[in-house]
Amino acid sequence: MSKDPGELFPKDSKKSYGLMELVKGTSPMVDKGPEDTVTSWPHLLILEVLASLGTMVLLLFMSVAWNAPLREFANPDVTENPSKAAWYFLNLQDLLLHMNPALAGVIIPTIVIVILMAIPYIDRSKADISIWFASQKGKAIATFAAVYTTIWLVALVLFDEYIQVKSFISEPEIIPAWIIPIIVISGLTGLLIMIIRRRWNPTKREMMVGLFSAFVTTYVVLLIVTLFFRGLGLHLVWPWNLPPGALPF
Amino acid sequence: MMPDINAILKIITRSQIWRSVFRQGYPNTDENRSKTIVNSWFLHIHPVKVRKHTLKVSYTWGMGFITFFLFMVLVVTGIYLMFFYAPSIERAYTDIQALETSITFGMLMRNMHRWAAHLMVISVFLHLCRVFFTGGYKRPREFNWVIGVILWVLTLVLSYTGYLLPWDQLAYWAVTVGTNIAGVTPLIGDQVRLILLGAMEAGPDALVRFYALHIALLPGVMTVLIGIHFWRIRKDGGLSNPDEITEDQTEGAA
Ligand code: HEM
Repeated sequence: MSKDPGELFPKDSKKSYGLMELVKGTSPMVDKGPEDTVTSWPHLLILEVLASLGTMVLLLFMSVAWNAPLREFANPDVTENPSKAAWYFLNLQDLLLHMNPALAGVIIPTIVIVILMAIPYIDRSKADISIWFASQKGKAIATFAAVYTTIWLVALVLFDEYIQVKSFISEPEIIPAWIIPIIVISGLTGLLIMIIRRRWNPTKREMMVGLFSAFVTTYVVLLIVTLFFRGLGLHLVWPWNLPPGALPF
Repeated sequence: MMPDINAILKIITRSQIWRSVFRQGYPNTDENRSKTIVNSWFLHIHPVKVRKHTLKVSYTWGMGFITFFLFMVLVVTGIYLMFFYAPSIERAYTDIQALETSITFGMLMRNMHRWAAHLMVISVFLHLCRVFFTGGYKRPREFNWVIGVILWVLTLVLSYTGYLLPWDQLAYWAVTVGTNIAGVTPLIGDQVRLILLGAMEAGPDALVRFYALHIALLPGVMTVLIGIHFWRIRKDGGLSNPDEITEDQTEGAA
């Protein structure tokens, strides 16, 4: 960390004098160049106090405005309809409607977690560290990936509601439950990669920004679909037509 | 006659008792500011100095800190709820009803616990997104990102195990659906389901297991991992910042 002071204030060999300056400060600066740091007290701590207070105020308002739900006593003989998981798992629950449960509920989540963990070992450049979306190009790619993903997801959800893969091929079970979902997911991901590569000629990091944006979009869009747009029997409805008790909170 | 406040303050802050607790003066010099941080058990996790860039709200959104704050709120309100709740089929549901109707601050504490859990699920995901989109996972922070991914999953699982505890219809069916999904895991599905539920169906054993996970095992693991997460931020030289940008000759090498 500590830099050679001679390097910070290079001496000009042609000059017999050095440049001095008197500055205001709270401590003597010996052998130190100008630094882009401030003391944690108070600069960081004041932000932490403000964030705590803001969060606490929001939380108190919510807790006064809405009560936590408590439905009837658990009854194994009465199924809730629609029966929804906690809201933060509804994206997974939506996947379950479209493919084999082991694929949707176990295999895909596991793959997602493993890929997320692998990210730092795949993208190892440090050329754009701390820059939001890596670059202007990265921002455009992220936006495109989000729009692309939203359009496809909405189309697929509508397709599976009103037409269904099973109306074309239902036998053997493995085709609609495994093969077609896998082909659709990898095909659409591949197409996204191809379009990004053709249009933007991105770095590895910019490509990953695009793919991560597609992941976040999928996560959020499917969550919203099942939370607000699925009623009795988990069929699609408008949010204002949801049956009572369809929101799991 | 009005007593002189400053004189009284001086007597207090110069007393041996005061000085045995606070070993430095008011933090208005750099020396005392440093000491305030390093002499305090609560604050010593902070570095004495931080880069201005990492203080920008537009850089971190403060989401990591807010997640941590919500976790602490959950611990405090959760302990309050534990005083009035027993994880048995006979008592769980009526205990929650009692919390809502007859226990002082019961309703408020239950609401805060529930909504803080929801907010934490949101804030931890926003934190994950900000770290990804700013490239905060890059060398040397690779492993802290991996710990982060585990923290994200833990946050979800903690929320989910708490969901069962009121033993109402919402809880029962969410857990039945969830453990059925775990049950279709290739090869080990049935065993996983049995371990989670302690029986073939969600019942008294499942309630006890989810309770133990929710109040002891998972929060314990979470606390340790958050500790490691913060410790590594320090060891990795604080937060990612533009000074670390280097051109890419290292790609593939190093
Ligand atoms: C219980 C959950 C978590 C807590 C309490 C937490 C807390 C924090 C805090 C306070 C910081 C300091 C900077 C900031 O606020 O952004 C931070 C940084 C960081 N977090 Fe987390 N975090 C959690 C989960 C995660 C997750 C889910 C990830 C990613 C998968 C992650 C990865 C990181 C990384 C890589 C840094 C360093 C970022 C940088 O240097 O720019 N953390 N965390």
